[in-house]
Amino acid sequence: MADRPLISEKIRDALAKRLNRGVSTIELHQRLREDLGLDSLAMIELLFDVEEAFDLEIPDGDFHKLGTVGSVIQYVEEKAKPSPLS
Amino acid sequence: MNRRVVVTGLGVVSPIGIGIGRFSKAALEGKSGITALREFDGMPLEAYRSRVAGQILDFEPRLYMEADQAERLDRAAQFALVAAREAVADSGLSLHKEAPHRVGVIVGAGMGAMVLGEREFIKLYEGRKPQRVHPSFIPTITLNSISGILAIAHGAKGPNLTISTACSSSAHAIGQALTRIRTGQADVIITVGAEASITPLAFAGFCSLRALSTSFNDTPARASRPFDQARDGFVMGEGAGALILESLVHARRRGARIYAEVAGYAGTSEAYHMVIPQEDGCEEAVTVELAMHDAHVTSDQVDYISAHGTSTTIGDVVEIRAIRRVFKADAERLLINATKSMIGHTLGAAGAISAIASVLTIESGLLHPTVNYDDPDPACHLPGISAGVQERQVSVALVNAFGFGSNNATVVLKKYK
Repeated sequence: MADRPLISEKIRDALAKRLNRGVSTIELHQRLREDLGLDSLAMIELLFDVEEAFDLEIPDGDFHKLGTVGSVIQYVEEKAKPSPLS
Repeated sequence: MNRRVVVTGLGVVSPIGIGIGRFSKAALEGKSGITALREFDGMPLEAYRSRVAGQILDFEPRLYMEADQAERLDRAAQFALVAAREAVADSGLSLHKEAPHRVGVIVGAGMGAMVLGEREFIKLYEGRKPQRVHPSFIPTITLNSISGILAIAHGAKGPNLTISTACSSSAHAIGQALTRIRTGQADVIITVGAEASITPLAFAGFCSLRALSTSFNDTPARASRPFDQARDGFVMGEGAGALILESLVHARRRGARIYAEVAGYAGTSEAYHMVIPQEDGCEEAVTVELAMHDAHVTSDQVDYISAHGTSTTIGDVVEIRAIRRVFKADAERLLINATKSMIGHTLGAAGAISAIASVLTIESGLLHPTVNYDDPDPACHLPGISAGVQERQVSVALVNAFGFGSNNATVVLKKYK
């Protein structure tokens, strides 16, 4: 299992950067589309970064599972390969 | 007074046939030109999410041109040359007898010379030898190389333009050719759309955009399914379509066969988003309305729409929304088909090839099927979409083409009377 706090931090950082706002304003319950204003291309770009950062592949069929910040983190925690440090 | 403009020649290179005869027959048979992605310069194919495409597997350049010319032309330019040559021959024009500055070339091209371009990029970055970049790289990769090559091939010294607006490129090419002839700047314009971008880099880019179909990698012929419930993205295609546009006066003076009239056109920007159409369909609707206005036709006169219909989840819904918005109750009696169901999305060539299909429909009274329309999606259903051939005498047809970059175009074709 990858390092949980690290995953959460990385994803919230990535979102904060993409949205140009402080990481403390990114909360787990926020919906990517409705609350954070990501359109479908921005979603695809975010998930592209997530795939690269955690070396995993997110099939189109899984998009519906990724509605909120928390759900993206949870998804990555479940799929990410074990970190060499853990 | 605007001059009327007509279509007097057609030519095509497509995944369902090279040449109008083969294309027309295959289209009416509902043949699919979508096949499994072939070898891709040693790339691991399994790493591509989508592995199907509308590839032209039987195109052998040396059947059409000298080996040294084939060597110097990108695949897109080769397609364009072959399609344009057919269209010119079909028109019966003897271009050497025409005043050369009255004959123009307008090309729509989406991506440019990707085949040669990628080859040279790889050579440069792998070999670290800038001095080995091929001398023909620059004159080939400039987007207007195709319109230049066609001008040289046909001695066409009039207006010479390349229009690049992604998937709407060649619909604009037709529209711009219409405008040039209408306003008296040319008598004849060789109007072409051409694309050959099924290349490792461009294809990967469309995969990363998650724009392509991924659920039918084992059943390629089923992958492109506009308006069907199971659609999951577009399928890349390649090819070229050529139309000879000519002023009516010029065509009649030489006793040309007239396929149809190009009666109007509109081009707009949604000024909205680089890849997503405005969801309510308002902007696509405006484009259609402006084109009808330009052609002096009203919505009750339109019989048939050759839809942009790419088979993406959102694009098809927005297009039908736009059609409903414009035609209201009349939308129910329109006939609609999507050429992309058979050949995939040929990007810059799509508008021209759809226009060719529409011209053939105006001539024959037969609409080709929208293949794989098995399970209508209620979100984009209209009764005039069918998986079978439909018959109707078409007086007015619309051709829609919408492109990345928030770009829309509609062309209006009429039966010549």
